[in-house]
Amino acid sequence: MNQSSTIDLTSLRARKARLAKRIGKTGYEVLVVLVIAFCILGVTTYYFEMTRLPFLSVAAALFCFIWALWYKRDLAVLAPSGTSMTDRMSGEVLARLRPNSALTPRATWQALRTHWQVLFLTNHFLFDGTIIENMLSEQESDMDAVWAEAERLSVTSPKGLVEPGYVAAALLKTSPMVSQYLTQIKLSKDDVDAMAGWLERVLEAMNAEKPYFGGIGRDWANGFTPRLNQFGYNISLHIEQQGGHFGWLTESAGVAALKGAFAQGASTVALIGEPGVGKTSHVNALAQLLLQEKNDRNLEHRQIVALNPSAILSAARHPGELEDIVMTLLSEASHAGNILLFLDEAQLFFRSGPGSFDMTQILLPVLQSRSIQMVVAMTPHDYQWLRANNPGFANLLTPVMLQEPPEHDVLRILEDAGLGMEHSHKVLVSYEAIREAYRLSGRYMQDLAYPGKAIQLLEQSLSHSVHNGIIVPESVQQAIEQSQGVKVGTASQAEVDTLLNLEDKIHERMINQSQAVKVVASALRRARAGVANPRRPIGSFLFLGPTGVGKTELAKAVAATYFNAESNMIRLDMSEYQRPEDVQRLLSNGSDESRSLIMAVRQQPFSVVLLDEIEKAHPNILNLMLQLLDEGQLTDTGGRPVSFKDCIVIATSNAGANTIRERVSRGESMESFQNELTDELIDNGQFKPELLNRFDEIVLFRPLTPEELGQVVILMLQGINKTLAQQNIKVELTPAAVQKVVSVGYDPRLGARPMRRALQRSVEDGIAGRILRGETRPGDTVVLDEADLA
Amino acid sequence: MVMLIFPLFTWWYGQGWLQVARNFGISLARVSHIFSVPILLRTLWAPWRRIITYPGASIDAKLRALGDNLVSRCIGFTVRIMVLITAAIILLLVAIWGVFCIVVWPLLPFLAAGLFIKGIVG
Repeated sequence: MNQSSTIDLTSLRARKARLAKRIGKTGYEVLVVLVIAFCILGVTTYYFEMTRLPFLSVAAALFCFIWALWYKRDLAVLAPSGTSMTDRMSGEVLARLRPNSALTPRATWQALRTHWQVLFLTNHFLFDGTIIENMLSEQESDMDAVWAEAERLSVTSPKGLVEPGYVAAALLKTSPMVSQYLTQIKLSKDDVDAMAGWLERVLEAMNAEKPYFGGIGRDWANGFTPRLNQFGYNISLHIEQQGGHFGWLTESAGVAALKGAFAQGASTVALIGEPGVGKTSHVNALAQLLLQEKNDRNLEHRQIVALNPSAILSAARHPGELEDIVMTLLSEASHAGNILLFLDEAQLFFRSGPGSFDMTQILLPVLQSRSIQMVVAMTPHDYQWLRANNPGFANLLTPVMLQEPPEHDVLRILEDAGLGMEHSHKVLVSYEAIREAYRLSGRYMQDLAYPGKAIQLLEQSLSHSVHNGIIVPESVQQAIEQSQGVKVGTASQAEVDTLLNLEDKIHERMINQSQAVKVVASALRRARAGVANPRRPIGSFLFLGPTGVGKTELAKAVAATYFNAESNMIRLDMSEYQRPEDVQRLLSNGSDESRSLIMAVRQQPFSVVLLDEIEKAHPNILNLMLQLLDEGQLTDTGGRPVSFKDCIVIATSNAGANTIRERVSRGESMESFQNELTDELIDNGQFKPELLNRFDEIVLFRPLTPEELGQVVILMLQGINKTLAQQNIKVELTPAAVQKVVSVGYDPRLGARPMRRALQRSVEDGIAGRILRGETRPGDTVVLDEADLA
Repeated sequence: MVMLIFPLFTWWYGQGWLQVARNFGISLARVSHIFSVPILLRTLWAPWRRIITYPGASIDAKLRALGDNLVSRCIGFTVRIMVLITAAIILLLVAIWGVFCIVVWPLLPFLAAGLFIKGIVG
């Protein structure tokens, strides 16, 4: 007799389980067929007046019938028969364990590894079952801990049984070698618990009884709604036909609050929440709840109908007809007696514009008379707008706020969504992909709330599946990279080469300023390697130096190199923000039609934010910069946060330019007087110490030497040649010509900017004249000497 | 297999028989739900598909509404009572079948044995 301290494989229950496995589904079907066959045989032999065969046939049919019933209702089910481990162990576990062999963790895993629940675990973890098997112990004494853990995991099991999945999870959790392996692949025992929870919800859904929705006569006392059927979508009818799958959401606090508001007599509830928080899902769950439960009289068998604004608008040929349609719909809903209207995206019904119309004037008397029950879903911003612009209407609404669910609930929702995707798209969504979708959507998708943004990201990952349809964390990373333009995955070899040689890449478009380039490149490498603080901007720099020495050029080079395009730069001239009221302009959320820093970063969260002449901004704005640099976020005028954590913030200033010029001209290195310069700027009141302290680096730019200016001329000439390449013409300058341009264009106060004008006068004008006169043709290389320059 | 005959009979005359009785109750409830029996009983005299109204305070309009609602109630009553009668018949059949199952259940093994012996002996 094989018996561990907690399980008896020779017990009656275990023997029944083994018999059930031997009979199996096929055996049951054979028994059913035999019942029918013997019955037919009995009738036939009775008809042909045979004496004994009819009795034997019916006896055999009854015999098979009894066995079939026993299998179906007892053996295959094997409900818990007590509180001991054996009495609570699932028949599917008992059937697979051999009573005559040693019961070790490895033997148990071998016995269970092909069961669908164990495959559910290993597939979603992307484990190889053989690798796990080899890590498990072969000591029988280790099984005590396994059974204890399996029993703990099964406390909330739907049928009260210790299922094969729980035993497998217990094997993973209690093995020291497997624990080490989990750590190596960045998983933990908590993840195994989470997976066991996921399995439990799958088992709950499989065992859930089909809900009853009221039967054929449910609606016979309620009115017809032909126009509502035409212009609305009956959510309740859809749920009735699909069977209702909002499961645990029907028990959520949000749905309870909705139902409670109506139960307390509210006629119109404003369901308020950020986009993606699940307003529509909550209304769908409410619809399911109202259909299947015993409810208060004023909610009993209510059907929720969502109005379709585009259908209404397209049906109305003129404004008067629009009002007629709406009045008809409201009248129908009122007379039907069992309709709860749902106005999703309420701003489509409260503001006139493309695809929307203002029906507040029509709704106002309806709300006042409380003749119709309604749910209007809107964002907090829209609710505030309504309160500000139509307070009489807003006061008639009973607000119910929907908050983002906690992480645990979001992951549950994602797991359910993942299963839905697996079913409809025939893919496998790995456990880690779900966690990655939660993490990355939280960091990079600021415009939506959980769980909507995580679900959206998971759906976008479908097109990046690997190995015949497996969604892995890399699929999610690729999806976010494609949609948001950010780099989150492991750097490719090409990208690694770029990052390691960033200084060279930047120097392809700007001259010298090696110290500045090095500092910025180091910050980018830290961020890309995941070493930098993720709660602050990627890097924040204050560039100090005279005008025209490359400060803006470096910012552009960073945008082009790190964010792939020079256009990924948001540039603000802080001299335009010198008044106190300019703070509002900076933080505007767009509701007043203006364009702000907030809106720009919201649209382009992966950018260089260049704040030119920062010392000229109003002190209130500089105070905002403290928050931006410290916490990586600002809050807009509507109260919504905007993240700057994926930005590189560069502030430029000409403050201290004279000091820099003077000290450099004396031959001093910039490192030697940087601290003095900083002190000078603080003492002069140009910068507060707390602001300077928050920058990652203060980078000094020195004036360009004449040799460097010559290199600037060559760089600018490359730009001119790029333009002329369309005509297949190339321009070259002799060294003397370059010197002439430098001498003509150089101004120590203005830096390299005058070089552009000098090149335009001396080179571009001359080439233009030659082309027009026909002296220069496609394919020519024009070499300009000093004498050729204008 | 032979050793499991005793557990089979233990279940047959224990949990199995109880399940038959339980399933009988479930079947009755299911039929009642399908035919919306509680709702139809509660709304037996309700108009068919809601009250008919005519706007306007005239006596004529009110009399017309009264008449139409009476007709609507008669239609509603007729339809509902027909469905309730149908539900009652089906419930009766289910009940008869359920009682039959409960009574016959313990006899089935003996019936099988008796028929087998009769078939052998003749």
